[in-house]
Amino acid sequence: MDWQALVLTLKLAAITTAILICIAIPISAWIVLSRSRLRAVAEALTALPLVLPPTVLGFYLLVLLGPRTGIGRTIASLLGHPLAFSFAGLAVGSVIYSFPFAVQPIVAGFSAIDPSLIDAAKLIGASPIRLVRTLLIPLASRSLLTASVLSFLHTLGEFGVVLMLGGDIPGATRTLSIVLFNQVENFDYAAANRTAAILLILCTVALIAIYARPRSRSNRNA
Amino acid sequence: MTNDIARKNSSLRKFLGNTLRNIQGKVFALLSVCVLFAGSAYAEQTTLHIAAAADLQPVLPPILAQFEQATGIHAEATYQASAALTTQIQNGAPFDVFLSADLGYPKRLIDAGLADTAGIVNTNGFSDSSTPAIYAKGTLVLWTRKDSAWPMPTLATLNDPKLKRLAIANPDRAPYGKAAIAALTSLKLLDTLKPRLVTAENISQTAQFAETGNADAGLISLTSASTQHLQTIGNYVLIPKDLYPPIEQGAVLVTNSKQRQNAHKFLEYLLSTPIQQQLAKSGLTPVK
Repeated sequence: MDWQALVLTLKLAAITTAILICIAIPISAWIVLSRSRLRAVAEALTALPLVLPPTVLGFYLLVLLGPRTGIGRTIASLLGHPLAFSFAGLAVGSVIYSFPFAVQPIVAGFSAIDPSLIDAAKLIGASPIRLVRTLLIPLASRSLLTASVLSFLHTLGEFGVVLMLGGDIPGATRTLSIVLFNQVENFDYAAANRTAAILLILCTVALIAIYARPRSRSNRNA
Repeated sequence: MTNDIARKNSSLRKFLGNTLRNIQGKVFALLSVCVLFAGSAYAEQTTLHIAAAADLQPVLPPILAQFEQATGIHAEATYQASAALTTQIQNGAPFDVFLSADLGYPKRLIDAGLADTAGIVNTNGFSDSSTPAIYAKGTLVLWTRKDSAWPMPTLATLNDPKLKRLAIANPDRAPYGKAAIAALTSLKLLDTLKPRLVTAENISQTAQFAETGNADAGLISLTSASTQHLQTIGNYVLIPKDLYPPIEQGAVLVTNSKQRQNAHKFLEYLLSTPIQQQLAKSGLTPVK
């Protein structure tokens, strides 16, 4: 069993989830509260990673974040190394790749909150930030949990982006899904079974943990 | 009478309206579309399907076009790592011919009773259905971009401390990756370069890593380095042949193929002298 890869994968999933929740809360709040025509466009954009093949996403990142572009050179000078073939590169890729899995449950949770509560809060002068912090987040806490677990699990099994962007470096970009792929490709099916079992058990336990929680009454639809 | 029709019409419209408004109706319509698409996937297939190693991607398309002109047989190729194609054929993928980048994978299929070279006259002049037919030899090169620190690479480039990332194909399974490790070992550079190696899934991805500039250089196939695109943006140096074992590329016919005759014709065509002479232009060493 490749423990180094397991630890790296859990680390990647945890960091990705933390970044995603921080980004997804303000975006989801804007989508739900705003009256702007751009809402539909924003919702569509947040869902795009669902339809782009991960390998394509990985390739675009390889080109976009590579040393041939301004963005890539800026990143390289900040980090001291290009983003491709590094853990930071995988984190960036994973955030984009798991984006819909964070945004969509949170949007659903925020949308399910009784609009009269939001109107009342606005009426007594709550700023948007305070509205999100004291009303939306507490009432949609279940959705936030769902978003976190889904983002985490989705990143855990991420493969295409890592394959295109990672370069299979032990301790930096060799994640569990790459190890599993290597084992299968090298005809080492016994080892592949063990790796797959670990992924399956991790994900099943996490999903049961979500679904076993009693649904809160204030937020039944989220 | 007309009243009757009108009544029927309005009730039909009501029914249709209700169905459309009705979510179950929508789901049913969607399912019907899915079933139709699924059904169409079972259409008859008369195309010759070729499983081809990734290094053949720049080589094979014109040969397939010529083959169709000469014989009227339409052939399509799937380009992937030889190992992945072997797994797929072992699991019943509907390929008719397998062109590998080495001899090990096709031999594995022959030993498993899944492939053969029955009736194919090999380069040594006799036919032996239990060994893959060698159709070409591959060449390993060191490739760099013209705008990199090494516009004209040499073997000494591998020794340069400025070389931070060298792309190679996966040495566990990609024949060119095995050759790359063998060459670095012969040059006594493996220990130095090991931390700087980035591993690609197959030889085309290796070229991609170097081509996009994410890797400083790549040990890639001459077939990739010979493409118009890579010739334009980079240069290469041949890795001396005595530094790595020859990359002999073997072909087999898939035993359970429904198009044995056409598959046989294609392999004969690939081994014919005029096609063999074409291979040299695209970076493969002919065997005839």
